[in-house]
Amino acid sequence: MSAAAERLSGSTSRVRPGEVFAWLRGAALDWLFVAKATFAVLLTGWLAMRFDLEQPGTAMMTVAIVIHPQSGMVIAKSFYRTLGTLVGCAVAFAIVGAFPQQRVPFLACTALWIGLCAGGASLQRNFRSYGFVLAGYTAAIVALPVVTHPQNVFDSAVMRVSEVMLGIFVAGIVSDAIFPQRLGDVLRDGVRSQFANFIVFVRDSLRGALPRADLEKAHLRFVREVVQIESQRSSVVFEDAGVRQRSPRLRLFNHAFMAASTSYHSLHHLLNRLQGEAHAPVRERLMMLAGELADALGPSGSEPRVAAQAPALAQRLSGLHERLVAQARGLRAGLHARAERLDFDTGAELVMRIAAELHDYTDAYALLASPRAARGLVEPAPFSHANDWAGAAIVVVRATLTMFAMGLFWLDTAWPEGAGAMLIATIFSGLMATLPDPLRAIRYMLVGYALGIVAGIACVYGVLIHMDGFVLFCAALVPFLLPGFYLSARPAWPGVGAGYLLALLYTIAAKNPMDYNALHSINDSLSQLLGVGGAGVAFMLFAGTSDSPWLLRRLLHKLRMQLVHACEWPLRGLLPRFESASRDVAAQIVAHTRAGSPPSREGLAWSLAVQETGRAVIELRMALAQAEVSARLRDDIEAALAALADLYATPGNERYARARRLIAAAIDEAAAHPALRSPLHLIRLALLDTGSVLGAHVPAEEKPHAA
Amino acid sequence: MPREIALFDALVPTLLPIFLASLLLQWGLDWLVGRFGLYRHVWHPPLFRLALFACVFGGLGLLAMR
Repeated sequence: MSAAAERLSGSTSRVRPGEVFAWLRGAALDWLFVAKATFAVLLTGWLAMRFDLEQPGTAMMTVAIVIHPQSGMVIAKSFYRTLGTLVGCAVAFAIVGAFPQQRVPFLACTALWIGLCAGGASLQRNFRSYGFVLAGYTAAIVALPVVTHPQNVFDSAVMRVSEVMLGIFVAGIVSDAIFPQRLGDVLRDGVRSQFANFIVFVRDSLRGALPRADLEKAHLRFVREVVQIESQRSSVVFEDAGVRQRSPRLRLFNHAFMAASTSYHSLHHLLNRLQGEAHAPVRERLMMLAGELADALGPSGSEPRVAAQAPALAQRLSGLHERLVAQARGLRAGLHARAERLDFDTGAELVMRIAAELHDYTDAYALLASPRAARGLVEPAPFSHANDWAGAAIVVVRATLTMFAMGLFWLDTAWPEGAGAMLIATIFSGLMATLPDPLRAIRYMLVGYALGIVAGIACVYGVLIHMDGFVLFCAALVPFLLPGFYLSARPAWPGVGAGYLLALLYTIAAKNPMDYNALHSINDSLSQLLGVGGAGVAFMLFAGTSDSPWLLRRLLHKLRMQLVHACEWPLRGLLPRFESASRDVAAQIVAHTRAGSPPSREGLAWSLAVQETGRAVIELRMALAQAEVSARLRDDIEAALAALADLYATPGNERYARARRLIAAAIDEAAAHPALRSPLHLIRLALLDTGSVLGAHVPAEEKPHAA
Repeated sequence: MPREIALFDALVPTLLPIFLASLLLQWGLDWLVGRFGLYRHVWHPPLFRLALFACVFGGLGLLAMR
């Protein structure tokens, strides 16, 4: 998904020589990956045969699964695959030991374990989820071949672990040591361009107004970038220790970015609400203040230069606060009406906050880009995720029932390959559950599997049968492997390449000596197709988030609940937690909906509202914790917050009116405390905004004036 | 040392625990090298890591198998 998004955002219509060169470079990198992957698969096959492993084919399949263009991804995936395999083995011992001769409890127990693992996987964001799925189906891979003679379970486990480990080691070493394409470099480029883009975006848009549609678009981009950086960060730490040292700084950078982008959005919402003649004096003064900040961000220049000037920029921003305060005082003197002053104070405070947060952000970037090792850095707050338990429960039920149904089919038909079908169905119902659109992925996978099976049978019975020796074996395999790896290097048809490779290697089932049994091959292939199809049926019966309006509504509710948490949870560490968790949910909604569709737009609109209001709520609560205020004011503010939380938990006209009334009352009460008044005013403005998602609750008679 | 040792009554090659120990040692060395930024002076860090591991494992293995 990320690669596709990058391609989309970077697309331009004109072709220049530089682009041709970049395209050639990309193509060369793709082919380098294809060559490395093919080499790794063949090397693994050779080693596995030298070591006399039972199924060299399994080791080769492991390589095909783990290999990825970027070495950090391979190592991260390998690490979790190792953990998953070991845990799965241990569970296989336990299950076989508990039910050695009873097939139904054995099946039920395995199915339940696999379901629980798949459910656990759906709660994770990075390759950890892969480890969970692995822990599930490794148990089945180890236990199934020995159902009839349980005393062999230990040997079976040792063999599977050896094969998988061999594949992992070879894949890791080949991808990391031979012409590595490092994830660290990708991440560094991503961070640099994010920094430069954001600074340029702020600088160019500070002087004018941004319409809501553009704000939504920018918000969507920022949410994606934040989540992507976090996910790459969690993989890149495996790549080398130097990057690992910098991981806390990267977190700090991401948190600074989230804070700055939220404040920036708030400022634009405020400016948008101040459109119209009546507000012109306030708006013009705020624009002058914002212009000062834009000047500090430097003259317009190309993006690469912005990144190089980060330390200088941080210095400029650190001296800005005094100037802004002085200028704000001068500008304020020209305003006399109370409402105008309130608007101006709120806006001026926002501009200053943005200046301070941009300074932190620039500072974090400058630190990140400097080559010196980090010292004395406090561990920043982790990136919080927010999960929907109902979604996970559906995953558990789906995987368990898939395995159980396919298992019963296997037992009733006594088809020897039924176990294979069951295994494949279970694997995919676990693996695919973490993808944004599993049904589509399964369809691609099925196409890949069909192609791979045809290619595999052609390879074994057309070519391999005439070959003798390992060199000729490789020569026969290479032409069949190349298209698979090429397809998986290109994101155009996600899953086709992977499906093709898995089916190909499974059908070939490399062994020494090779086993040519056409009947078995065809039976096996059928069982594979049936398994993938079975997983597809499971996804149709138990729809995931992308196909289930119910789950989507729950995610939306989860998003709104982030604001409730912002109102209620203890303040310690709340800000980073709120900023990351609310973006995490928004990213989930975006991933599970088609871009521009009504649910996707609704999710984004709510996300903007939650982000802006939640931030103001936290600022308010922090100010309240420090200020010395009367008990009455404190009670008023707490009542207003409770009403706001109520409104977001279940939106409705009555609750909306109540929240508005209580907040207005609190603002009147807080006249003597500007630090409390500004965030309250921001919250109120967000409620009054007819363009926002809460605009539907604004009483009809107010609408024309507010617009 | 014997070629195989009994670990919880399962015979495993002596090299296996040595392999695991050298993984641990390698992890520590890697952390140290990264901590002091020494990878900046290395042409090809992953190759260096691999070579370092080969040295650690080879050395320990030869010591044990002497």
